[in-house]
Amino acid sequence: MLLLRYIARRVVFVVPQLFGIVLVSFFLVKLIPGDPAVMMLGPTASAQSLAELRDRMGFTKPLLQQFTRYVTDVAHGDLGTSWQTTRPVTEDLFQRFPATLELITFGLLLAVAIGFPLGVAAARLKRGPVRKFADYYGLLAGAMPDFWLALVLIFIFYTVLGWIPAPLGRIDMAVLPPPTITGSLVIDSLIAGDWEALRSSLGHLALPVLTLGVINAGPILKMTQSMTERTLSSDFVRYAEMCGLPRRLVLRQAVRAALPSVVTIISVLYGFLIGGAVLVEMVFSWGGAGQYAVQGVLNADLNPVLGFVLFSAVLSLVIYLVVDLIYFALDPRLRS
Amino acid sequence: MSVGTHSGPAASGTRPTAGGDAPWRRRLRFFLAVLRARPSFALGYAIVVGVIVIAALAPWIVPFDPMTADPAVYLLPPGGRHLLGTDGAGMDIFSRVLYAPRVDLTIAVAGTLVSAVIGGAIGAVVGYYEGQRAWRRALSTFVMRSADVLQAFPVFVFAIALVAVFGQSVKSIVIAIAFVNVPIYLRLTRSQVLSIRQLRYVEAAYVAGASDLAILWRHVIPNAIAPLVAQLSINIGWSVLLTAGLSFVGAGVVAPTPEWGSMIAMGFQNIVTGQWWPSVFPGIALGLTVFGFALVGASIEVLADPARRRVLSGSLG
Repeated sequence: MLLLRYIARRVVFVVPQLFGIVLVSFFLVKLIPGDPAVMMLGPTASAQSLAELRDRMGFTKPLLQQFTRYVTDVAHGDLGTSWQTTRPVTEDLFQRFPATLELITFGLLLAVAIGFPLGVAAARLKRGPVRKFADYYGLLAGAMPDFWLALVLIFIFYTVLGWIPAPLGRIDMAVLPPPTITGSLVIDSLIAGDWEALRSSLGHLALPVLTLGVINAGPILKMTQSMTERTLSSDFVRYAEMCGLPRRLVLRQAVRAALPSVVTIISVLYGFLIGGAVLVEMVFSWGGAGQYAVQGVLNADLNPVLGFVLFSAVLSLVIYLVVDLIYFALDPRLRS
Repeated sequence: MSVGTHSGPAASGTRPTAGGDAPWRRRLRFFLAVLRARPSFALGYAIVVGVIVIAALAPWIVPFDPMTADPAVYLLPPGGRHLLGTDGAGMDIFSRVLYAPRVDLTIAVAGTLVSAVIGGAIGAVVGYYEGQRAWRRALSTFVMRSADVLQAFPVFVFAIALVAVFGQSVKSIVIAIAFVNVPIYLRLTRSQVLSIRQLRYVEAAYVAGASDLAILWRHVIPNAIAPLVAQLSINIGWSVLLTAGLSFVGAGVVAPTPEWGSMIAMGFQNIVTGQWWPSVFPGIALGLTVFGFALVGASIEVLADPARRRVLSGSLG
C-alpha cells in the first residue's frame, strides 16, 4: 500500500518533467538549421513544391501552434513520421529500442559480473595486488573511450584471430532472424530453438557487450568497494565481529548492506547507456535507437529525435521505478 | 586558507628555529611528501603537465606538418621516419597525436570552466536562498527542476543537437560541453552552500550586517570551492572524451584538424584490414590524458578533505 502510494507520487512528479523535456527538445531541435523540405525533395525541387510540402507538414504555422499540435499528437500516441525512413517514428523506435536494450542489458550484466566481485575483494583487502589492480582498473576503465576499445577488440578478435563474424549488425545477412517475441535476438532464437540464429546473434553480440562490460565495470567496482568499506567499518559489523561470528558471515552482512547503493549506480548507468551506447552502436552498425536519433539530428529529421528523447525519458522512469521496488526488497526499513 | 598566508610575514620576523619555514614552502614540502607516498598521484600530475607542455610546444617538436598529406607514404606501419606510421591519407600520426591536445584540451578546459563558473554561481545563489522567503524559494525550486529536466536528456544526443544548432565549430562544442556540465556544478555547489550556510561564521557575518552577496562571496564560496576544483579536474578528462566522441560521429572537430576522436574515426576502415596504428595511437594518448586528469582530481579530493588529509599526513609520519 505504502509502495503504491510512493509510486503514484513518483508518477505525478514525472508528468511536468516529461512536459519540460518535450518543450526543451522541441525548441532545441527546431533551432537546428536545415530545411527538411529541401532534404526530402532534393536540391532540384521547384519552389512551389517546396512551399507545398512545408505547408502540408505544418512548418509555416507559428512555432507555438506547431508545438501544441505536437503535444496533442504525442498525447494520442502519435510521434509523427521520420522523413528518412518514411515510417511512423513509433514503429521505428519499437523496432530499434529492443536492439539497444539487448545490448546494454547484457553489457551491464557483464559489468556487474566483473565489477561487483572485484569491488568486494578490494574492500576486504586493504593492501596487495588485488587492491592495486582494482584501484587502477577503476580509473582506467573511466578513461578509455568506448568507441576506441570497440575498435581494438574488433582488430584483435575479428581481424587477427577471426573468432567472430564481421562487426556489421546483429545477425549474419544469410541467417534468417527468429520470429520476434521479446525483440532480443538471442532470447528469441532460444525460444524458437533456432541454434543457427542463436550462434550468429551471440557472435555479433560478443564484442559490443564486452566493450560495454569492461568500461562500465569501473563505476560499479568503485561504488561496491567504497560502500563495502564503509559498511565494514560500521557499528553493526564491528558488533558482529565482536560476537565472534565467522568472517564469511560478517562479510556477507556488510555486502548486503552495501547493495542498495550498488543497485543505484547500476540504474544510473542503465539510464545513461540508453543514449550513451550510441558510439558503440555506430561502430558495430547495431541499428539501435541511439544511432537512429543521431542520424535524425544530423539530417534535420525532427520527429525521430523527439521520439527518442521521450522514449528514453520514459524508459529511465521505468528503470527508476524498478529500482525503487528493488530497494523495498533489499531494505527492510522501507517496508515497515 | 587565507589565514595561513597572512601569518607569513609575521612569522618570518620571529622565526625561532630552522623548523619554521615560510608557509608556502612547508605546503610544498607536504605536497611533495604526498606525491612520494602516493606514486599514482605523482603519475597523474606528470601526465597532465606533460600533455600541457606537449600541447604548448607541439609546433616546435613535431617532425612533420600535421595537416599535410603525402599520398606517396599512406598507411606506413610504425617505425622508421614516421615513428607511429602514417594514416590512410598519408599524414604523420606521431605529429598529429602531439598536435591534438591543442584542440582537445582547449575545448575541454574552456567548456568545463564556463560550466563551473555558471553552474557554481547559480548553485551558490540557489543554495543560499533555499528555504527563505516566498519568491526566493520559488526561484530555487524552479532552477532545481530545470536542472532535473536538463539532466534527464541523453547527454550525447543533447550535445550533438547543441552542436547542430550552433553550427559545427570549436565554439559550439565548447557551448555544448558547458551546457551538459552546468547541472553537475549547480548541484555540487548548492549542496556545499547548504551545509556551509548553517555554520557559525556565516551567522556571525549576517549578524554583523554583511549583505547577502558579501557573505556569499567572502565567506561561503571560498569554503565551498575545494570539491569543485576536484570535480573540475575529473570533468576536464570527461569532456575530452565527449569532444572525441562528438568528432568520432562527425559532429565535432572537422577532419584534417588533428584531433584524437576524428583520428580514431579516420582509422576505422583500416582496422578491419589490419592497419591498427591510425586508430590505436590516438586512443592511447586520449586515454592517458583522461587517466591523468582523473588521478589529479582524486588527489585534490584527498588533499582538500581535512579528515582524509590528516589521515594521509599521519601516515607520512
